Amino acid sequence: MSDLSLLVQMGFGALLALSVYLPLRCGQLSLATPGFYVIGGYVAALLSTRWPALSGAGTGYPLTSLALELVVAALVAAAVALVLGRPVLQLRGIYLAIATIALVEILRVLNLNLAWSGGAVGIFGIPQPFAGPGGYALATWVLLALVCWLCARLEAMRLGRAMAAIRDDELAARCMGIPSADVKLTAFVISAVIAALTGVLAAHFLNTWNARQGGFDASITTLAFVVFGGSRIWLGPVLGGLVITALPELLRPVGDLRLILFGLVILLGPILFPQGLITPERLARLQQTLRRP
Amino acid sequence: MQAGQLSRIAVALGAALALAAGLAACGPRAEDQPLQLKGGVPVGAVLSLTSNANAYGQDQQIGLKLAQTWFQQRRNANPQEALELNLRLEDGGGDEATASQAFNLLIDAGVVALIGPTLSQQAFAADPIAQRRSVPVVAPSNTATGIPQIGSFISRVSAPSTEIAPLSIAKALQLTPSIRRAAVFYAQDDAYSTSETVIFQKALTDKGLKPVTVQRTQLNDQDFQNQISSALRESPDLIVISAQAVDGGNLIRQLRELGYRGAIVVGNGMNTPNIYPICQGYCDGILIAQAYSPELDTPVNRDFVALYQEAKGGAIPPQLTAQAFTAYQVVAEALQRLNQRQPLAQLSLAEARKALLAELLGGQYDTPLGEISFSPDGEVLQQRFHVAQVRMQPDGRSGRFLLLP
Repeated sequence: MSDLSLLVQMGFGALLALSVYLPLRCGQLSLATPGFYVIGGYVAALLSTRWPALSGAGTGYPLTSLALELVVAALVAAAVALVLGRPVLQLRGIYLAIATIALVEILRVLNLNLAWSGGAVGIFGIPQPFAGPGGYALATWVLLALVCWLCARLEAMRLGRAMAAIRDDELAARCMGIPSADVKLTAFVISAVIAALTGVLAAHFLNTWNARQGGFDASITTLAFVVFGGSRIWLGPVLGGLVITALPELLRPVGDLRLILFGLVILLGPILFPQGLITPERLARLQQTLRRP
Repeated sequence: MQAGQLSRIAVALGAALALAAGLAACGPRAEDQPLQLKGGVPVGAVLSLTSNANAYGQDQQIGLKLAQTWFQQRRNANPQEALELNLRLEDGGGDEATASQAFNLLIDAGVVALIGPTLSQQAFAADPIAQRRSVPVVAPSNTATGIPQIGSFISRVSAPSTEIAPLSIAKALQLTPSIRRAAVFYAQDDAYSTSETVIFQKALTDKGLKPVTVQRTQLNDQDFQNQISSALRESPDLIVISAQAVDGGNLIRQLRELGYRGAIVVGNGMNTPNIYPICQGYCDGILIAQAYSPELDTPVNRDFVALYQEAKGGAIPPQLTAQAFTAYQVVAEALQRLNQRQPLAQLSLAEARKALLAELLGGQYDTPLGEISFSPDGEVLQQRFHVAQVRMQPDGRSGRFLLLP
């Protein structure tokens, strides 16, 4: 069963990595993912602990209420991303990164100081929609499969091709008539929604939610998923998220050396594979080797 | 590679994992199996051995080790009576996810009881897991309000800050009756600090000392000059700090460096000798309420102090070590009583966990903390508390907690 709860956390890692990957897919380095993750978590924590009508009559927390939380969180995150996206996405490269870090910090400080978010203690005693980690694993991996499917479809869709064009050369893309501002905003909103949905599941899974869940450290961790796995194709961030989340836990038998080994892996990954573990070329080569009898 | 192929991979990947998850959830449950007694009764501990919280985890790890040695000695003296425990220690890190994962790991490994986690914030995430799976938890260091109320299986041997925090303020006023202007500092992004400062501020107001200023800091802050200069503008003669070891140590150092000479009262987060290397000579004179007195003259405490001094070259054991020792002792003694009444080998794991909980909460324990017992919801009932003052050696490297009469 512990492997199941590790699977859940790995799924969260992969989802957050995809949320960082989508803006990167059109060349936007946005570190806002933990901000939307925290928004999703607070939506779930507040709705499930402060609104008794949602708890239902049975022993467990009803799945319909969970679905409602997912919808509300997605709407809130999309609204915030829409409002902030327009001005923020005028920035490029490192300036966009700084602006999104500021967004994450502002949200963290707000959550620490507002009365309804419970301050540093946060919100605890969040009810459980599933009896054990199995249910969470199912929900997380279904969500992950959906997002992966969406990312894979993007490769063939007009939107995905527009994103790739903007990543390669935004000026040229605009000359070709691609509405670059709209495309970037769409990617930012989808990224926000994915992070918020992950936050909803994570808040229930962790039993407690507080401002520490999303901060500057979390921004860097989610970025590391993508740097480690690769940002050219969606399989990269998924693999990065899965591996980097699982590694500290899988290394437990090593004992005191475990974080040193983990650090080594993080260090050696980008040195040996500067483009990330998975690149389209490497995938194609792998496929050829597999096809050969 | 074609997009169609990739999306097929995605769906297949998700479906396979979801199926695996579903199957695993329906598998046989460890709880119905008989208790595994090979190598001793399995007991788990989750302490913060990495991250900033390792300043506490180190103290606690020594406490558990000493308790193991102490029970080993008793077993050597009296082999029939004593029961062997198989303690498995896992790192809980400093965050919720790592502690939860360690709890899951140990519960699946079939432990009858858990000791930990180190931080209250982690307890809010990890304890519900143990509660749902009916595993007794004894917390050695969670002082925040509401920990035993997480569930019926959760108890603690660490007295909550509501009981001990006000004592140090009373002592400061007794030592310096002229105190009129109190300033309060607390780490606003830390669960323990924010709940303790509420108690400190209430205690101050009750004594007629409404804080002249309340300054907020952050756990990861290094530099406190802004907060300190705005506090010193109010010319306080008492400063009350709720922070953790590393940031609190730095804060005290900078307070003294910027010229503050008045009394300093700190909370339980700095109740460890690991602050000495941080604030060095500047630690001298700070007041901390204690749930443990090294001078308590009972056989078990004499043994504990002797073992600690043997291990650490004559140093005086801190409260966190004594509390961790106590947590282990409480679990071990409850298991022993249970085993005498109803041999553990005959019980399934789930039955053993339930029976242990009843035995644990029902017992009286003669520990290094003094005589303790539990209220029905798992709160520790402890007779005596103390206030200590830090006294540093002239070289500023080592010091001691001197208990005030």
